[in-house]
Amino acid sequence: MATISQIQGTGLGLKRELIPQIQSLYGQEPLANIHFVEIAPENWINAGSKAARQLDWFVERYPVVCHGLCLSLGGPSPLNVDFLHQVKTFLRQYKIPVYTEHLSYCTDGFKGKQGYLYDLLPIPFTEEAVHYVAQRIRQTQDILGQRIGVENASFYVAAPISEMSEIDFINAVITEADCLLHLDINNIYVNSVNFGFDPHAFLRRIPGERIIYSHMAGHYRQTPNLLVDTHGENVIDPVWDLLEDAYRLFGAFPTLLERDNNIPPLDVLMHEIDKIAGYQNKAAKHRPAAFAAELMAG
Amino acid sequence: MAELAGFQRYQLAFTARLRDPQNQPPLAGVPDERMAVYEEIVFNNLFESVSACFPVARKVLGKRRWLKLNQAFMRDYSANNPLFRSIPAQFIEFLRLLEPGLQQLPPYFISLCHYEWVELSVASAETAAIKEVQTAADLGHGRPVFSPSMQLLNYEYAVHRISLRHKPRQPESTQLLVFRNADDHVKFIELNAVTYRLISLLQNDPLSGRQALTLLANELQHPQPESIIEFGLSILEDLRNQGVIIGTQD
Repeated sequence: MATISQIQGTGLGLKRELIPQIQSLYGQEPLANIHFVEIAPENWINAGSKAARQLDWFVERYPVVCHGLCLSLGGPSPLNVDFLHQVKTFLRQYKIPVYTEHLSYCTDGFKGKQGYLYDLLPIPFTEEAVHYVAQRIRQTQDILGQRIGVENASFYVAAPISEMSEIDFINAVITEADCLLHLDINNIYVNSVNFGFDPHAFLRRIPGERIIYSHMAGHYRQTPNLLVDTHGENVIDPVWDLLEDAYRLFGAFPTLLERDNNIPPLDVLMHEIDKIAGYQNKAAKHRPAAFAAELMAG
Repeated sequence: MAELAGFQRYQLAFTARLRDPQNQPPLAGVPDERMAVYEEIVFNNLFESVSACFPVARKVLGKRRWLKLNQAFMRDYSANNPLFRSIPAQFIEFLRLLEPGLQQLPPYFISLCHYEWVELSVASAETAAIKEVQTAADLGHGRPVFSPSMQLLNYEYAVHRISLRHKPRQPESTQLLVFRNADDHVKFIELNAVTYRLISLLQNDPLSGRQALTLLANELQHPQPESIIEFGLSILEDLRNQGVIIGTQD
């Protein structure tokens, strides 16, 4: 049963395939750097009694955070308030202190329904979109009674109608919504290649004081200037460099490894988590334990 | 929907193209190569989820028609459930809403898909534990309690025997029972019409085994009700041995 100040250090995105390995090695040295785990609420809400038993096992042993997939903060259909109430109940039931979502959309309101497309689509970076998304984040925070984090998403198409850069859009939304940032380091890198910008310059404009935690992941290189955010490969060196730079700029913040495809055995993933921990230990600045709690309180 | 902002009109053109890349125009100023990433990711995601749930339906339809059916699902159906795992159930709803003849599906096709989906849904169904069940008590005197995951299924075709080599030519009324056993495995049992009726009676009303069998003997206007009751009790006992009946309540 986690409190917000327990979300620290290094963590792992929980995949069903990994559960038996984690359970059999629990408490042993190789897993020492799993300090918290992340789940997608969509995969665990109403998922049956076996899943509920597994989740009980985890919340008794690890701080758990929720990273949603389907809220469609930028979508043209009305915010799915019924679903959000389900999420709220779920967070309360399992005493999960953190909920984050993507700065993207996955619905189109087709035929008067939500029109879920089950994937993360790019919001055009316009002034109207800033206000629209910020309002929906505020609505979400009002319903949940807590701040949420929004994640910088990876994308492949730049909307020709965009009026500002991605970092300007992120900053404008976060400021107007008064929400937190769920920083995805790999997504900065993926987008920097896909759209030709300097990821380190991007990082310098991130509101570091609003980072709740961050993601590290690998991607697939389809062509030299098109990276696809598969979470199916190892983290590459330029992304490690970005993480190191981010810790230097903002102090070491909680960071979690995402691996959703082509999942290797747990000990291989632990190498990457241990490596994140190494960068955290090396960082000159660390955030105080109370930092996250202050962030959530606003 | 209220009047759309400019960025929303762009979003709708974007998703229209994702839903139907063959017929919707490409977006001005967007490179095809980049748009293709989304077209592939979004469709494949849906296609893989549907294909994984319906391995037999996929085979009997054949590769091309299966693909075409899924493209129609992508194009025409508006999913209203945020949970990814609900996609197969929504696919069945899509099939039921199809105009007859549009995709020229075999007459048994929706039943077959439903049968394949039930296996998945029973595997993950939420089931509350039932308290105060006497596991060894007499099934004639007590009220038989079924596994909470149990479902009775009634199809016009023998869906459980369909395969690529065995496509039904004629309807064949088929009753099945599906449940998840104590080891969390999904099991199907083929029932005859009388057993199906017996279980329905017990499911719908709080009856003891003997009361339900007496009703059944009346319905059948059987000249020797006692033989029906004896026979029925042995069937219930058999269902208990298989884990379908977990015991009795008073």
